[in-house]
Amino acid sequence: MRISDLTRLSWDQVRRRKVVTMLCAAGLSIGCAAIILAMSIGESTQKIVESELNSFLKMDEITVMADSGALPGQGDTSDVSEETRNRGLLTEQKLEIMRNLNHVQAVAPFQTLNYFEMVTADGKRAYGEVIATDLSRLEDFGEKFGQGHADNTDPTAVVLSYGATMGWMDDETRNKLYQAMERSSYDASSQEQYRKIMAVPTPMYQAYIQFNNNDEGKQRISSPLRVAAVLKKPKGRSDESIAQDRKIYVSLETAQQLRRELYANVTESNTTTFNSVKVKVDDELNVKQVEEQLKRLTVSTSSNLLQKERLEEQFAVFKAIAIGAGVFILIIASISIIVAMTMSTYQRRRQIGIMKVLGANLSQIRNMFIIEAALLGLLGGMLGILFSYWIVWGINALIVSLNNGESDISIFIPYTAIPVGLGFAVMTGIISGIYPAISASRTDALTAIKRD
Amino acid sequence: MLRVEGLSHAFKNGSEITLVLQQIDIHVGKGEMIALLGSSGSGKSTLLNLMAGLMKPTEGNIYIAGHNIVKMNENKLAEFRRKHIGFIFQAYELLPNLTVRENIEMPLVFQSVRPSIRKQKSMQLLEQVGIPDKAEMFPSQLSGGQQQRVSIARSLITEPSVIFADEPTGNLDTKTEEEILAILKRLNRTMNTTFIIVTHEREIAEQTEQIITLRDGRLETSGDSTSNEPSSSAATPTAMETEEVQA
Repeated sequence: MRISDLTRLSWDQVRRRKVVTMLCAAGLSIGCAAIILAMSIGESTQKIVESELNSFLKMDEITVMADSGALPGQGDTSDVSEETRNRGLLTEQKLEIMRNLNHVQAVAPFQTLNYFEMVTADGKRAYGEVIATDLSRLEDFGEKFGQGHADNTDPTAVVLSYGATMGWMDDETRNKLYQAMERSSYDASSQEQYRKIMAVPTPMYQAYIQFNNNDEGKQRISSPLRVAAVLKKPKGRSDESIAQDRKIYVSLETAQQLRRELYANVTESNTTTFNSVKVKVDDELNVKQVEEQLKRLTVSTSSNLLQKERLEEQFAVFKAIAIGAGVFILIIASISIIVAMTMSTYQRRRQIGIMKVLGANLSQIRNMFIIEAALLGLLGGMLGILFSYWIVWGINALIVSLNNGESDISIFIPYTAIPVGLGFAVMTGIISGIYPAISASRTDALTAIKRD
Repeated sequence: MLRVEGLSHAFKNGSEITLVLQQIDIHVGKGEMIALLGSSGSGKSTLLNLMAGLMKPTEGNIYIAGHNIVKMNENKLAEFRRKHIGFIFQAYELLPNLTVRENIEMPLVFQSVRPSIRKQKSMQLLEQVGIPDKAEMFPSQLSGGQQQRVSIARSLITEPSVIFADEPTGNLDTKTEEEILAILKRLNRTMNTTFIIVTHEREIAEQTEQIITLRDGRLETSGDSTSNEPSSSAATPTAMETEEVQA
């Protein structure tokens, strides 16, 4: 029997037997929509968490540190010979090799000097983490300038992260705030007020700041440095979270100057070495490969892949549970198909009998019913896709309305979910159609065409 | 063409066994049109179902075109029916959701014949049964007589060796009955197909070449039938045959 004839005859039945079609398609569509929704919510949540994680921990970056030569798990490097230590140093020469590695987009030192107190000319104070880097490479590492621009030419230039422009206040305001908090230490509103004030930005572009450090009992202050640029406000994060991320980027030369000004004893070295370097890789997928290449340079590396893998593992469990729920609904739906189709088989005994008398064999009758069931599955699947789009649209509308009209969080339907959902629906249709199909093919032609 | 040898059939109803057919021997030649005549309960429908391979006999053999259909399994029988057997039912048994043409083409659909060939054949047959203009109509839009013409066309589309017609005029008025019988007789002559018509009406049986009469599951023998050396054993020559002999 030709496929076109099989399909035409089966489709004719699907079209004509509206109640059976509706019953089966409804059950299957719910199951299919459940699977698509489960996958969509799982995937969307993972993406949201990943993007949150990405804003803190960049997945396409590798942090390279000097290899102290200590055995893994042992911090003590006193036993390590000078030669071993020197071999593990991060030198300019090694940086050059890293820049030439495949898939490496940028390499720059990111050395944390310390957390320092900063003070402006008008007496406002704040704290921040000073990081020495190649200022001209900041944009290569995904940082975007909001105001101004900086490179390494001006030794007095510093770049503030958006968070570092927040929470500046003079001593009087700060003291009042501390006193208020001390008076009512259990009062949540004063804590809340403090957090809010700490997240208020101050116009810092082109302002002059100095760093304070208490070293060996003596207060040291740096020469004034100009805020040559302020980075853009990161998207998708709350102000309070941004206020925690307070970084001041300075050039390597400025960092050296700050060391001299803020510390009593500074050891000067003839060769330039770094304690921390960041390597930007062109794609997350190549991080592992690049990391392995970097390790050959006798340096230690770390990336955020492990966190991502852990996250993926956790979400895989979540998605499996959600899909399991969808499949369970499909199984329930399949019972309705079996019942509806068996009923339909019984009602069509006469028609089956005639077909058998006209020469249809067992497999031809069986195939007709299985294709009919597959068509029901396809129909239910398509309906399920439609339902899932409506539901996702509804969920997104609800999220937006709950967030006063704006929200970065939204559920999306991944493209893979559609064929998976449709596939499950068609498979359920076929599997549920097997019993009615076999039962139909076994209909005795003679009994079927006998007049009552 | 059709040979029935020592055919017996019994139904089991609990512990009770009812013998429906006993030692039937029939021989029908190619292109013959014979009637299987019998009153209700005589076993004629059972005999028809056995000869068409829709039931298995308790005893005996049935040969159609040289093949013993008693030995065939269900799939083989389906294939055999497709090629060698045509059916005409009392209640037409057309599929209501298919058009007239699609109904006629149905046996060819099971043989995977190309749609263009199917259409050509079905249109030819519709011409032969006199309703070429009804091709795209549904059975419910036709009269009883027209539906039976469709059923006849459907039985002929595979050019079978033998056509079994079970009370083909049972649901029709006298005028339509005559028309249908005329069509059957004409097709029997022009297409040289063997027709076995089951009926309980002697008037209809007499329109055929030979009559095989069944009474209480046994063949009724007639002295006259053998004297004319009919090709159908245990058969009585009819008016139709006498006319033809004289002609």
